[in-house]
Amino acid sequence: MIVVGTAKNAGKTTTFNALRAVAQRRGVAVAVTSIGRDGEPSDALDAEPKPRVRLAPGTLVALPAGLVPRSPALAILERGGESALGTVVFARVVLPTRCEIAGPPTARAMRATIDRLRALGAGPVLVDGAIDRVAPLAGGDDAVILATGAASGATVARVAAAAADAVARLTLPGRDPAREFDEVVHLGGALDARDAEELLANPRDATVVVDDPTRVVVRGALLARLRAAFDLRCERALRVVACTTSPVGRDASLAPRALVEAVARATGLPTFDVVADIAA
Amino acid sequence: MNADATSAARIGLDWLRTAVAPVGAFGRRHDDARAPYGPGDEARAHDEIAGVVALAAQLDRDGVPRARAALRAVPEPTPIVARARVGDPLSDVDFYELGRFVDAVAAVARAWDAAGGDTARRPPALDALRTLLAPGREGAGFYLADAFAPGLRAARETLAAEETAFETRREAIAARVRDAIGIDPAGDEFVVLRDVYDGPLPDDVLVVRETPTYRAAALRVVAPARDAALARLADEEEAARRALAEQVAREADAVAAATDVLGALDRTLARVAFAQRWGGCVPSFGGTQLAFTEATFAPLADALAARGRRYTPVTLALDGVAVLTGPNMGGKSAALATAGFVCACAALGVPPPARAAALPLLGAVTWIGGEGPEDCARLLSSYAAEVVRARETLAAATPRALVLVDEFARTTGPREGRALLVAFVEALRARGAFALVATHFDGVARAAGVAHLQIAGLREHALNALDANDLDAALDAINAAMDYRVVAAHDGEAPSDALALARLLGLGDDVVARARALHDAR
Repeated sequence: MIVVGTAKNAGKTTTFNALRAVAQRRGVAVAVTSIGRDGEPSDALDAEPKPRVRLAPGTLVALPAGLVPRSPALAILERGGESALGTVVFARVVLPTRCEIAGPPTARAMRATIDRLRALGAGPVLVDGAIDRVAPLAGGDDAVILATGAASGATVARVAAAAADAVARLTLPGRDPAREFDEVVHLGGALDARDAEELLANPRDATVVVDDPTRVVVRGALLARLRAAFDLRCERALRVVACTTSPVGRDASLAPRALVEAVARATGLPTFDVVADIAA
Repeated sequence: MNADATSAARIGLDWLRTAVAPVGAFGRRHDDARAPYGPGDEARAHDEIAGVVALAAQLDRDGVPRARAALRAVPEPTPIVARARVGDPLSDVDFYELGRFVDAVAAVARAWDAAGGDTARRPPALDALRTLLAPGREGAGFYLADAFAPGLRAARETLAAEETAFETRREAIAARVRDAIGIDPAGDEFVVLRDVYDGPLPDDVLVVRETPTYRAAALRVVAPARDAALARLADEEEAARRALAEQVAREADAVAAATDVLGALDRTLARVAFAQRWGGCVPSFGGTQLAFTEATFAPLADALAARGRRYTPVTLALDGVAVLTGPNMGGKSAALATAGFVCACAALGVPPPARAAALPLLGAVTWIGGEGPEDCARLLSSYAAEVVRARETLAAATPRALVLVDEFARTTGPREGRALLVAFVEALRARGAFALVATHFDGVARAAGVAHLQIAGLREHALNALDANDLDAALDAINAAMDYRVVAAHDGEAPSDALALARLLGLGDDVVARARALHDAR
């Protein structure tokens, strides 16, 4: 299960911690890792305060050797690949601890890390992720949760629109021969604005296929026009199952309930404020 | 043995270095610390090569790659141990890596035994280090277990109890808050929506931030005992790590000795694998000859094998300087390269892939002929490049140098070119260097007063019977018809078989016929 955000400080780690807490309450041992660096007290780029990742006994974690907390000690199980912060190690939490988590930088290495965490433990794997790096999960049965909030818009309407746009891209349907047109256009790389304009110059009954949803870099109205004009699909789909909202941003504080309801309406997905305990 | 980039490439020295490169960090370090054998190192070179040849016969052929794979998997403990020696703190990941090292060394020892290796070269067991780390090792992992220090268990039990007490206290406060405002204060932070509750918050609630629609809050749970337990555990764990690191430091010599053994074994097994692949002999050193019987220029043999072709081993005896003539495509360049390659093997402690060899240990090998990368960088023409290399070679030539000359002066006028070559060969002879000089010029050996060797060449009448439809078939046919042996030459015109080969390689019959007429008329 991977949590991605529509913007920095959209509430990813808060959502991640909420999932971990639910698992703990239910007695389910989880495994955790991160795409990028998370769990540090403040954001490395903009110094915004960030929640640290709390890990309960029995939790499996993949993190760089340099981020392994010195106390309480973790049980080191084995080593993985390299990351920007050093060799990734797999460890098990023995006593409750809080730590930073970072994972490998590449999609392939992240896939290998997730697979190894699955092999080492029986429970779900939670990944604090990034929206442009979810490709390793495409084509599998992993669930994606989209975190959004005031960090991605100054009004409820803007946040909801940003969430809807992200969900529209991430929920690109997979291949379905029964529903596809005879003409299938394969795009090897990214579907960018230039590709979109070329396609829209000659609208027709055709299926346009990209490798996975992260290859679609057009958004907003252009993406909507493209989806209206073509049957847009991907080889390996993602499974986006829910959204979470954070009403607090650096420049705005939004009404929590209104935000949850607006995002649920805009995305058509179950939406939660895991701090205010609101669902829609 | 010095060889510039061009020479190293031509004699297969680069290929050889790659072929016998160690697979692990210790082996690479061991190799880097050993200079190639040169003049004066004959006894050491002999001992190493003899050892490799003996091991190649003794060790199981499947076991050697397994032992090398085990060597490749050994992690590097040296920086960790060095930090321990100077008193730097070690981490649990460091102890885990040391445990991996101990296990990996044991795996190498098992693989070595399975390959049929002797006890003298067997990596040490590192029992003391293994015992040190044992309390923390479950399987391949590591945990700073209670057994490492007397205070650890108590500190952990205290912390666990304080965590439970903290949760109990927090839950009690949460229940009071729930009763007071009707909101469940779950998680580190919780939100109090103003449209749900806008009254005063209990004293146990700390407001983190406020907006017109909600207040974000956290429970004020003071837990000095838990904080103290955390601090005590941190102290106990650090003390345990310090004590363990001090004990690791005392094993530094054993670890260094083990890495030395691994490094030497890695170097040796690389050579054994080479010898098992290519065969090899123990050369005799110290004579005045550079001679070998049925030697294989392995880089070429490897390339030919990849194309399904067979390499013909070369036999050669060189007393000082010799001129080598023979037909095009007869293997003159390969013979030169083989001489250099065999000497390179000896310099690196590798059994030369030959049935027998009597070799000098050389100070330098130089290849002259054609342009190398250095010549291109100097913006020299082919002729200028050759002359400059010849000048530099003569300036440095000694009796412990091998000079391989491949059709020197072929890009200039033949009369002046031949004269220049004769003079160059005389100069090499005067300096006492070993030299093998391939050329199509006639009468060079006799004019310079040196031995004349030749490639035996196309077997009699064989070429007339050959016909081929494409290049591959032509090369196969030439390969079958060519006698690649190096033999003593008769005086007279150096054979080239150039016209017959041109016909076989597809140059038009009319062109070849015209060329033959012109040649015969001369």
